[in-house]
Amino acid sequence: MSFWHTAQNLDRRIIYVVLFLVVTYVLIKPIGLPIVVNRETQRAYDAVDKLAAGSILFVSADYGSSSIPEMLPAEKAVLRHVFRKGLKVIAGGMWNEAGAMHDLAWQEVSKDFPDKKYGVDFVNVGYKPGAGVLLERMISDAHQALLGIDFYSKNFSDLPLMGEFKTMKDAKMVFAFTSGDPGEKEWVKMVTDPLRMPFATAATAVAVPGQMPLLQSGQIIGILKGMGGAAEYELLVKSPGSAIAGMDAQSATHILMVLFIVLGNLGYLMTRKQTT
Amino acid sequence: MDKAFVAGSVLQNWIVALLTLAILSVLYKENPFYRFAEHLFVGTSVGYTVMTNWYTYGKPTIMKSIITEGKWTYVIPVVLGLLIYTRYIKNIAWLSRYCLSFIIGYGSAYVLRSDPRSLVLTQAIATFKPLWVAGDFLKTVSNWVLVLGVAGTLTYFFFTTKRSGIVGAGATIGKWVMMVAFGSAFGNTVMARVSLFVGRMQFLLTKWLHVIPG
Repeated sequence: MSFWHTAQNLDRRIIYVVLFLVVTYVLIKPIGLPIVVNRETQRAYDAVDKLAAGSILFVSADYGSSSIPEMLPAEKAVLRHVFRKGLKVIAGGMWNEAGAMHDLAWQEVSKDFPDKKYGVDFVNVGYKPGAGVLLERMISDAHQALLGIDFYSKNFSDLPLMGEFKTMKDAKMVFAFTSGDPGEKEWVKMVTDPLRMPFATAATAVAVPGQMPLLQSGQIIGILKGMGGAAEYELLVKSPGSAIAGMDAQSATHILMVLFIVLGNLGYLMTRKQTT
Repeated sequence: MDKAFVAGSVLQNWIVALLTLAILSVLYKENPFYRFAEHLFVGTSVGYTVMTNWYTYGKPTIMKSIITEGKWTYVIPVVLGLLIYTRYIKNIAWLSRYCLSFIIGYGSAYVLRSDPRSLVLTQAIATFKPLWVAGDFLKTVSNWVLVLGVAGTLTYFFFTTKRSGIVGAGATIGKWVMMVAFGSAFGNTVMARVSLFVGRMQFLLTKWLHVIPG
């Protein structure tokens, strides 16, 4: 069997082993490739930066634990930015694991901000079912829509921040971490378009193409695109984390993918030539 | 730090690492470890979903809203929702159609009410771009690409006319634009999957094997 025939029909287990070795090596010995902040991430950052101290930002975790590598570093970076600006956060979501994801982010970020108190600067209202219907109800009466209890089953009456947040109109901006449906479309349809509220997202890379039309129309101000966007935001807030640490491995893997695609296509062309 | 807490964290990391390796083992071939991890994941996900929905919505609605606050009208949607389970009982399975018809009727109205403005009209208005931007050639080219791309893609889906002349040209442009878009979507999908793998490897190398500090 010729080399080109082998190249075209390479056993996928060889590809997996090479991928595993490349990722492991680059994670252990980082290359230090530069990370350039792109325009969409900068816009999302600037939108949060413009908010006055004391403003309420609604953060929505519309992702599951399977998207943690892309979404959790972005959420932690955004929370760091928000707390440095003196903003307050109501954290909820339309996915089952929203409360757990916010809890993970809060537990880690709050260690760096000991002056930030749960119930005063940050409230995790967790997941409530209903998707777009929930969001619509929150425009008129957030407490009733959220059933008056947070993720830890505390009553809203015991949380001072909830006294400042009666409806979605009390929030100055929405920042959604999305990986599918329900997600950004529900926010745009039900809240940010009708209320003309600034809206930024952090999306898993697979969800980004679907959000580009909303970005182009101005319905989304900025998008953090996958792990790359999270790394860029970490760079902007000067808090390097797992996203920046993973970018070298991501870039190396992409180069490897391109090489395999080129090899496979060359194999196809050369074997076709040999046949004719 | 408390020894029990540390021991618990170590045990947790080992369980997570072994389950990760079990799932990844399917890349070689199907095996009992992969099957076990897969079934464990499905069962845990379903259990978590059921309990989350009960504790975040079911229990507060029934205990607080209905029993404590006396909002007895909430009983109607609760009963309507429970009717879906009559599908499992052959004799009264027809009762589930009331629940389904309510969901379908409400769902259709919900989409018709909200989607046209935000997802159709606003998007259409966003394509009204100037085809000549004085002093900015790149912007002009970008606007032409956008307008031709949208027009071409829409033309591609005209199946009631012959694909010749301007319709044929438009459909060809649309086909190429869509291929570029699908390629971009595929590339983003690959990037997402790679990110997830890098995340898992970061966990294995930092929290489990402690090869990388962090």
